[in-house]
Amino acid sequence: MRFKTVTVFLAVFVAMLLVASCSKQAGGDTTRIGVITSVTGSLAAFGEAHKNGYLIALDEINAQGGVLGKKVELDFYDDQSKPDQAVQGVSKLVDQDHVPVLLGSYSSESTKAILPSVTQRQVPLIIPTATADNVMESKSPWIFRICAGAGDYAKSTIAFLKDSGAPKTMAIVYENTNFGQSNMKAMNAAAKAAGINVVAVESYEAKSPDYKAVLQRVKQANPEVIYFASYLLDAGTLMRQAQEVDLNPKYYTSAGTGFAAAEFPTPKGAGKNAEYTFSVSQWLPDAKWQGSKEFDSEYFKRYKSHPAYHAIQAYESLHAAAHAINDAKSLDSAKIRDAIRNLNLSSTPFGPVKFDANGQNQHEVLITQVQAGKYTVVYPPEVAAGKPIIPAPRWNQR
Amino acid sequence: MIHLVQACINGLLTGALYAVIGMGLALIFGVMRIVNFAHGAFLMTGMYATYVLFDKFKINPYLGFLPAGILLFAFGYLVYRLLIQPIRDKSDFMQILMTTGISLILVDSAQLAFGADYRQTSIALVNSVFRFGPFTANAAAVLSFVIAAFFIVGLQVFVARSRTGHALRAIAQNREVAPLMGINVTRIQGLSFALGIAFAGIAGGLLLPALYLFPSVGEDYTLKAFVIVVLGGMGSIEGAAVGGLALGVAESITSLYLGNQWALAIDFVLFLLMLSLKPSGIFGRQRA
Repeated sequence: MRFKTVTVFLAVFVAMLLVASCSKQAGGDTTRIGVITSVTGSLAAFGEAHKNGYLIALDEINAQGGVLGKKVELDFYDDQSKPDQAVQGVSKLVDQDHVPVLLGSYSSESTKAILPSVTQRQVPLIIPTATADNVMESKSPWIFRICAGAGDYAKSTIAFLKDSGAPKTMAIVYENTNFGQSNMKAMNAAAKAAGINVVAVESYEAKSPDYKAVLQRVKQANPEVIYFASYLLDAGTLMRQAQEVDLNPKYYTSAGTGFAAAEFPTPKGAGKNAEYTFSVSQWLPDAKWQGSKEFDSEYFKRYKSHPAYHAIQAYESLHAAAHAINDAKSLDSAKIRDAIRNLNLSSTPFGPVKFDANGQNQHEVLITQVQAGKYTVVYPPEVAAGKPIIPAPRWNQR
Repeated sequence: MIHLVQACINGLLTGALYAVIGMGLALIFGVMRIVNFAHGAFLMTGMYATYVLFDKFKINPYLGFLPAGILLFAFGYLVYRLLIQPIRDKSDFMQILMTTGISLILVDSAQLAFGADYRQTSIALVNSVFRFGPFTANAAAVLSFVIAAFFIVGLQVFVARSRTGHALRAIAQNREVAPLMGINVTRIQGLSFALGIAFAGIAGGLLLPALYLFPSVGEDYTLKAFVIVVLGGMGSIEGAAVGGLALGVAESITSLYLGNQWALAIDFVLFLLMLSLKPSGIFGRQRA
C-alpha cells in the first residue's frame, strides 16, 4: 500500500516536470530577454517603475522590427524584494528559459546576491538601478551598470553643499542593507575628505517603521546636514517622524532612491513633509537629453503619472541590450557581452551610454529639491531650473 | 534626561501592545503547556483581517480590530478542535511541529492571497502628535495604548474573578485533578486557546496603523512573545503584562543609547540573561 502511494506520487511528479519543461520550448520566433525585478514586496513601487520603463522600451524595439528580425519578449521574474528569490530568478531564466542576456535586479542587495550565479553561468547582466559600489567590485567581465553609483552620489552632494553655504557638520542615517551601507560608507569618506565633521552615523531596519529613537539620537548630535539613504516606505515615515520629533537641520539631503521616487512628494510617500528635501537624481523629465520629454509624455500617457529615474534606467537597459544583440548579430551570450562592451550610444533619453573597462557607464548626477510638491533641479548651476531653498524652515514655521 | 523620559514614554506605548501579545501566548502556555510557534502568524492574520475591513469597508483599524479579534477567536477555537486537540497529549516535539506547520500555512496563504507587497494604512491620527512640555506622544499610539490597557486589565479580571477563569487556573495548576473537580478540560482548553489567539489578533489590529503589513510580519513577534513570556515567568499572565511593558521600554532605551540596530539584539540578550539567571521570571513563580 505504502509502496504504491510512493510510486503514484513519483509518477505525478515526473509528469509535472515533463509538462513544465515542454511548455518552455514554445515561442521559437521571438527572442526572450530575462528581467529580474521586485514586482511585489517592500520595493514593489520601484519594481513597478522598472516594469513600466521596460514595457515602453519593448514596444519601441518591436515597432522597429525587434532584434535580428524577431520580436522581443520579456521574461519577467519577480524577486519579491528578496535576494534569495533573485538568485532563484537567475537559475529559472538562464537554466530553464535559456535567455541570452539578463537585466536586473532592482535593489543593491538582490543585485549583489545574483552576481556569482550570473558570472558562473556566463550570461551578460545589465544593472539598471543598483547604486551600491560593491556590485561593481567583482571585476566580472559579465557585469555592466547603467546607473551612477554611491560614490558619485556622495561626491555630487558634497560639491553641492560646498557651493551652497558650506556646512560643517553632518549626520548619516541609512537603511541597513547593501544600498544603505554602501551609500553610508561613500558619504562618510567623502564628507571627511571635504572637512565636514560627521557627528552621527545611524542605521535602521527598514521593516519596522519606528525610527523615532534614531531621529532622537540625530537630534542630540545637532547636525547642520542630514544625509539619508532610504527606500520609499522608510523615506516617507522618516520625514513624518522627523516632524514628530521636531528635528530641524538646515539641509535634508539624501542618496536618491526613496527620496527621489515619483511617489515621495505625494500622499503615498511623505506628502507635505517631503518639502525642502534635497536628493541626488540621475534623470528628470526635463533633463537636457534628447528624448527625455518624449519618454515622460509616453509614460504619462500610459500610466497617468510622471516617471522618476528608476523607470528610464530600466528603459535604457533594455535598449542597450537590444542594441548589443543587433550589433552581435547573434544570440550567443559571449558575443552579446562583447557587443555591450563596445556600445557607444551618444544620444539616448538617459544621456550618452558607454561602458568603461570595468563595465560602468559614466553618468552625470544632479541635485534636486522638492519645491511645491515637485522635484526641481538646483545643482549643478548650468542645468539648474531653480534656486535651492536653504535652510529648510523649522517644522513649527511651516 | 528629557530623552530618557521620552524613550520610556515611547517604550510604554509600544510595550502595552507587546503585553497583549505576550498575555495571549502565556494563556495558551499556562493552560495547555503548548508553546505556540504560530503566535506571530495569528497576529499577522489579525492584521490582514483588520486591513481588509479598512480597505474594503473603510472601517478604521481602531474599530476594525474588534471584529478581527472575534474572527480570530472563532478561528482559534476551530484550529484547537481540528489540529491541537488531537495532539495535546503527545510529545512536545509533536506540538512544536504542529504549531510551526500552522504558522507556515498561514504565512504562505497570506502570500498567496495578498502577495508579498508591503501595505500601509494611512489614517490621519497617525500624523497627529500630543505635545506636553518637551515631550511628545503619537496620538495613534496613545489610543492603542488605552485600548490595550483595557484588554490587559480585562483578561486579568476574567482569569482572577470569573468561574471560567477559576477553571482555567485549576487546569493550569493540575491537569489531572481538574477534570475530577468537574471541569470540562476540552472546553476550557479550547476557550483559552481561542482567547490567546484572539489576543494575538487584537494586538495585530492595533499594530496595523503603526507597521507595514506583509505576510511574514509576524515572525519577529513570535520571538518577542517568547521573550515576554520568559521575562514574566512561563505561563504567568500578569507576568506577561509586565514583561511586555518591560520589553518595550528596554527596546526603546536601547535604540536611544546604542542605536536602532541593537534594539532587536536586546530581546535576545534579555532572553538569555533571564533563562540563565532567573528562569522563573520577574515574579519568581513557576505557574499561572
